[in-house]
Amino acid sequence: MNSKNSTSKNQFKPDSLTESSNSELPPKVPVLSPAEWLKVNLFSNAFNSILTIISTGAILLIIRGLLSFIFNPLRQWSATATNMRLLMTQAYPEHQYVRIWVTLGFLLFLTGISLAFWRAGRSVQISQVGKRLLVVGAFISLVTLLAPFSSRATIIWLAVGLVIVGIGLLMKPANEDKTTSSMTLLSGAFLLAILSLWVIPYGHHSYISTRTPRILAEPGTVAMTTKLPWTIMFVVAVCSYFLGSFIRDKIDETRSKAILSTTWLISPLFLLFLVLRDPDFDTGHLFSTDIPIFLFFSLVGSILLLWLTRPEIGEKGRVISAVILFVGFATFLFQMLMIVRILTLVLAFFALAAPTFSGQKPARIRYTKMWIATMMILCWLITAINTPSTAKVPGDFFIGGFAITLMIFFFTMVLAFPLGVLLALARTSKFPIFRMISTTFIEFIRGVPLITILIFFSVMVPLFLPNGMDLTEIAAVTIAFVIFEAAYLAENVRGGLQSVTRGQHEAAEAVGMTNAQKTFFIVLPQALRVAIPPMVGQIIATFKETGLLAIIGIFDFLYIARSVIPGQTQYMGSTRENLLFVSLIYLVICFSMSKASQRVEKRVGLGER
Amino acid sequence: MTQNETESSVRGDRDLANAKDIIVCEGVSKWFGDFQALNNVSATIKEQEVVVVLGPSGSGKSTWIRCINRLEQHQEGRIMVDGVELSNDLRNIEKVRSEVGMVFQMFNLFPHLTVRDNISLAPIWVRKKPRSEAEEQATSLLERVGIPEQADKFPGQLSGGQQQRVAIARALAMEPKIMLFDEPTSALDPEMIKEVLDVMKELALSGMTMMVVTHEMGFAKEVADKIMFMEGGQIVETGTPEHFFTNPTEERTKLFLSQIL
Repeated sequence: MNSKNSTSKNQFKPDSLTESSNSELPPKVPVLSPAEWLKVNLFSNAFNSILTIISTGAILLIIRGLLSFIFNPLRQWSATATNMRLLMTQAYPEHQYVRIWVTLGFLLFLTGISLAFWRAGRSVQISQVGKRLLVVGAFISLVTLLAPFSSRATIIWLAVGLVIVGIGLLMKPANEDKTTSSMTLLSGAFLLAILSLWVIPYGHHSYISTRTPRILAEPGTVAMTTKLPWTIMFVVAVCSYFLGSFIRDKIDETRSKAILSTTWLISPLFLLFLVLRDPDFDTGHLFSTDIPIFLFFSLVGSILLLWLTRPEIGEKGRVISAVILFVGFATFLFQMLMIVRILTLVLAFFALAAPTFSGQKPARIRYTKMWIATMMILCWLITAINTPSTAKVPGDFFIGGFAITLMIFFFTMVLAFPLGVLLALARTSKFPIFRMISTTFIEFIRGVPLITILIFFSVMVPLFLPNGMDLTEIAAVTIAFVIFEAAYLAENVRGGLQSVTRGQHEAAEAVGMTNAQKTFFIVLPQALRVAIPPMVGQIIATFKETGLLAIIGIFDFLYIARSVIPGQTQYMGSTRENLLFVSLIYLVICFSMSKASQRVEKRVGLGER
Repeated sequence: MTQNETESSVRGDRDLANAKDIIVCEGVSKWFGDFQALNNVSATIKEQEVVVVLGPSGSGKSTWIRCINRLEQHQEGRIMVDGVELSNDLRNIEKVRSEVGMVFQMFNLFPHLTVRDNISLAPIWVRKKPRSEAEEQATSLLERVGIPEQADKFPGQLSGGQQQRVAIARALAMEPKIMLFDEPTSALDPEMIKEVLDVMKELALSGMTMMVVTHEMGFAKEVADKIMFMEGGQIVETGTPEHFFTNPTEERTKLFLSQIL
């Protein structure tokens, strides 16, 4: 609020008037010249000067060491470049590769629309961009001079650096009110990167023509196989951004944002199990079993929930929900389809929550719609997972590499978050039995190393399963991650729960809210807001912990870089190059997650006390 | 809201002698550990009556009115609110709470919701009103407390007096039969006290049953039907404002009045 007021005030004061109304403006901070800046900040006294000189020398030495490692002719960077497909998706079938691009395209489409709807980006002064380019160009030139390049490479890179410096110099004197959107800059950078694919044959090395690598199929280089798809991806992202900003003002914004968020949550499931996995549906089974089960549950469930959400239902409703819950657990005693058991249990939870969300007709219909939507997603997913895949690959899962790292990370977060919230609520509950179970679980999981849990789930749990029940290693490992992260997230959420004051609880109780309503509408929103910074820390840690998959022999990003590629005869001993590449990717993703969380923190801080 | 005829209803119109009892306390006692906060408190409050509870700090005033909507549990005696006895039965507690509005010293607005949502949340989910109706009601309540233009702001953006008026509107949105005020002006700057007291006066004139814990003697003199003076967890003296301020009978009351007046 305040910043808005002050800017509008300033707009009404042209520069010529500042003299007369000087008393209202804060005194201007004098701008230092570079020499003065250096003197004040780096060479203010003898001790500081020594520190500056020593640390500058150390930084230069480190950069020089890193550069001479990277640009040493002995480095086999071709190992990383030619194996890019292996690193990203392991052995996903070549002729079905378009599915990967469709998946990526859909995600970029969602990204574009979301960026438009959430009004991402800010306006940047052209002169500021110029200053940045100056720094970048100078850095490139410095690096070129330090690196052990051949004279030709030195000249080329120096030229590049100087050109960037030149562009920066051109932009720097631009007027203060000349601005551009940071989104324009970002897409410009991406455009340059993609155009370079058409010019420079990345990943093209002499021995590709002589010795065809086993994994990489014809025609070979990264640039040649990906330049067209990446161009299409870029067009999709940009077009969807403009589409998003076009329809943004025409429809109800809060509602479409909710729809977008839900799509973000659900679409990875569909992309994974429908697009990437390409299940081979059995139409007979579909019409005889799956669809009837879906119709039965959505119809009977809807009627039941419409009745249970009547405000005047009272005690009868609770008894009926409890009976359904009992039936749900009892189904495990008899031989029947797994889908029926799961759906019965879900129905029981919906019935139990019905009194909390009961109300007039619109509220009741909304609740029933939620039930039908849940049924659709669940039935579809269970059916898709149960049908065999047409993507035939060696090993027991159809993707690997970076894709499986992302997939396990996504499932871990989506499942661990609600479980963690439940555990935190149980641990702060009034009922001793919940408190005991939750505390025991959390303390036990936190007391055991993650790698132990992972090995336990990948080796031991399949042995404990009853006859006829089957758990793939990927599923088992995902469950291991979920329970581990849930225990940690629960502690973060508990911290948030404790920050909600007693007055908030009392105010909610005083207006007659039930315990569930108080928790759902008052306590949790405030607690989760407080818990964002530690939770983001936990999420980043989780992303990095997926690297442990390499140790139990799942073909994840790190495993392929560490063991698979150096095992290829032509790339013996290329471990360090691959690890450097992998750590760069991890760094980029973790850093952007951390930046995104800072934005979210700022945004939700709006209603803060 | 139907209670907008504030001008026409004058306090004298009410027939308090024949009104029915709405809050009945019989021998209520409560301990915090070894400390006895309430000692055998018995009192009856009639419908449409405005009762001001006075007393030095630590005398059990707040504890008593917090017992009336079960934010604190009493350990001995009986409390009946509109014919429902407060016991451990959760349904009774929820029923009583949805008919008793409460205004807190520290406002306790929900900081993550806008003013309008603060007011309409409980009517939607507890009273099961349609959202549109609840939001209309919120708008008219905000008009009644004099801040209709603040509906879309967050509580953190309002002054203390405005926040307390929103808190009153939030309590009124449940259409309660009784309003409890727990030192509603103690956390406010002096210049904001009046705006809150004005809203409370208007509420009293409209015929609401009110129990007010306060240190505002002017309000007590002007608006109260009955003043109860508490000390050491007991009700020491009960009477009309004239009786209380001009010739109190108890020594302790006289001492208290001599210290504050």
